[in-house]
Amino acid sequence: MSERQVLRRRRGARWTVRRIGVYLLLAAIAVVFVWPFLFLLATAFKAPTQDVYSFPPSLIPRPPVLTWLHNAWTQIPFPRYLLNSLLYVLGGVPLFVLISAMTAYPLATASFRGSKVMFFAILSTMFVPAELMLIPRFLVANQLGLTNTYAGVILPGVLSAFGVFLLRQAFAAVPAELGEAARLDGCGEWRVFWTVMLPVVRPTLAISAIFGFIFIWNDFLWPLVVLNDDTKYPIALGIAYLTGISGTDTRTLSAGTLLSLVPIVVFFLLLQRQILEGAKGAVKG
Amino acid sequence: MSDSTQVAATPAAPAEVPVAVRRAAAKPVSFGQVVGRSPFVPYLFLLPGLALFVVFFAWPAVEAVEASFTDYSIVNPLHVVGFANYTELFHDEVFLAALGHSLIVMVGLLPFSVAIPLWLAILVNRKLRGIQVFRAVYFLPVITSMITVAVAWNYVFADKGVLNWLVATLGLSDAPIHFLLDPHWALASVILVEGWKGIGTYMMIYLAGLQAIPGDLYEAAEIDGAGAWQRFTRVTLPLMRPFMAVALAIEMVNALQVFTSVYVLTQGGPNDHTTTAGYFVWSQAFQHYRFGYASAAGVVVWAILIALALVNHRLTNGKQANTP
Repeated sequence: MSERQVLRRRRGARWTVRRIGVYLLLAAIAVVFVWPFLFLLATAFKAPTQDVYSFPPSLIPRPPVLTWLHNAWTQIPFPRYLLNSLLYVLGGVPLFVLISAMTAYPLATASFRGSKVMFFAILSTMFVPAELMLIPRFLVANQLGLTNTYAGVILPGVLSAFGVFLLRQAFAAVPAELGEAARLDGCGEWRVFWTVMLPVVRPTLAISAIFGFIFIWNDFLWPLVVLNDDTKYPIALGIAYLTGISGTDTRTLSAGTLLSLVPIVVFFLLLQRQILEGAKGAVKG
Repeated sequence: MSDSTQVAATPAAPAEVPVAVRRAAAKPVSFGQVVGRSPFVPYLFLLPGLALFVVFFAWPAVEAVEASFTDYSIVNPLHVVGFANYTELFHDEVFLAALGHSLIVMVGLLPFSVAIPLWLAILVNRKLRGIQVFRAVYFLPVITSMITVAVAWNYVFADKGVLNWLVATLGLSDAPIHFLLDPHWALASVILVEGWKGIGTYMMIYLAGLQAIPGDLYEAAEIDGAGAWQRFTRVTLPLMRPFMAVALAIEMVNALQVFTSVYVLTQGGPNDHTTTAGYFVWSQAFQHYRFGYASAAGVVVWAILIALALVNHRLTNGKQANTP
């Protein structure tokens, strides 16, 4: 065995040890981020004979029971709320993406009178405290006949500074020649936008759709204000409602919360690569 | 892009753009100028967004400012009261305390938006099998709703919860600490949950920055004999400054608007010890039904946010000049 091989092997061993160390550290940190959810998971399945809280904390339900999942599913109209949330997402996300793209496109590629004003107007929406807007927005929605309607829940969330900025960055990165070539070929501006620009920024469209999904799925404050008919509640509001009615019944509450987590977590796991890329892309300038 | 004929709905008329005109334009040519014939085209694109902006932001914002000069509530007929709400606000100890709490939150969240996520970003910025999974797990709290988070954190904060188990095991205190009910701990607990939930966002911001740093910079530093710490302070930190600026801007806006976590964890209690500016606005409006007063408080918070944003803009604009 040559000296060099020995050296390489020794370095390999040290490297492996370091790598195990890094993995252990990463795993320990991961625990910090998931432990509250682990307790949620455990409690949702714990039998009445087993304490929810104990020293040391116990994470294994012995035996696991499905009572609480069933309770949560039936104590509030769970399927109905899930369906509502799905409706809000299906209605809101395409609008969210389209409006973000249409607003971002001229802001990124054109210089025209008022572009600065529009840009700062969109930016300013980030700074208005949401609680301040609840009442006047409700009054406006009321005047427009939007209270207690699905549209009333969806529309205010459609324009988002986040979505606009994300797509503005993407459009700004597209070489100007691309649009010009199409224009010289006789394409109108809508056609340039629809057939040239949108396909180019498709990854960013996907990202903004994902974030639109997360925003809409988790929002409960605006639905709480604008809806008075609880059959139109989204699932996030359903969980708030369950918190109210189940009071001290932590097991049912945990089960309900767990159930409400399933769609968004599945969605996240399926698309995590794009989500994480998008979170990065939003700040790249 | 030869497939541009596929879409049917195009209000396009053939454009005749003299190439010379395009060449002559000194600025980068954009569609408002090239198309020339229709200077209002950008506005057509902006129309839907503008309409939503007017209906759901501008109009309500004007109404809110208007309401802040009235005693609007569900019991009173409306009276214009001038600046009375604002005068009352600045004598209202709960409001002043709420502003103080928001300031504490803003400071308390700093480690969760600068040091910790930067460290995590450096940690996950390496080519390891399965590193994507760890990034995803750290990001998980970001995608869950605050309601879910509050229910889950109950297991951490409860009298027989995880934190009290740690406290008892380490022998720090004989009696359990009521994290959400003890005036000494309640605000810190809210900050902890907010911070924990937000770390993933900031980690991603820094990760974006780290991945943009060219590797040869580190190699050069290493050849010049720089140790790991020096490479961090001399290469990483300076290059991360613009990303820290972005993170700080987001942190300030978020911190002043902290509301949902308070609403679901403590309802502003005990004794208003966790009443933040955002929660104050909510409670005046929806618990005391003083819409005019709540609006005035909201307008004050808004003014503070804009002032902070302007300061931040000034500071970071200076720095962005020497960004790669």
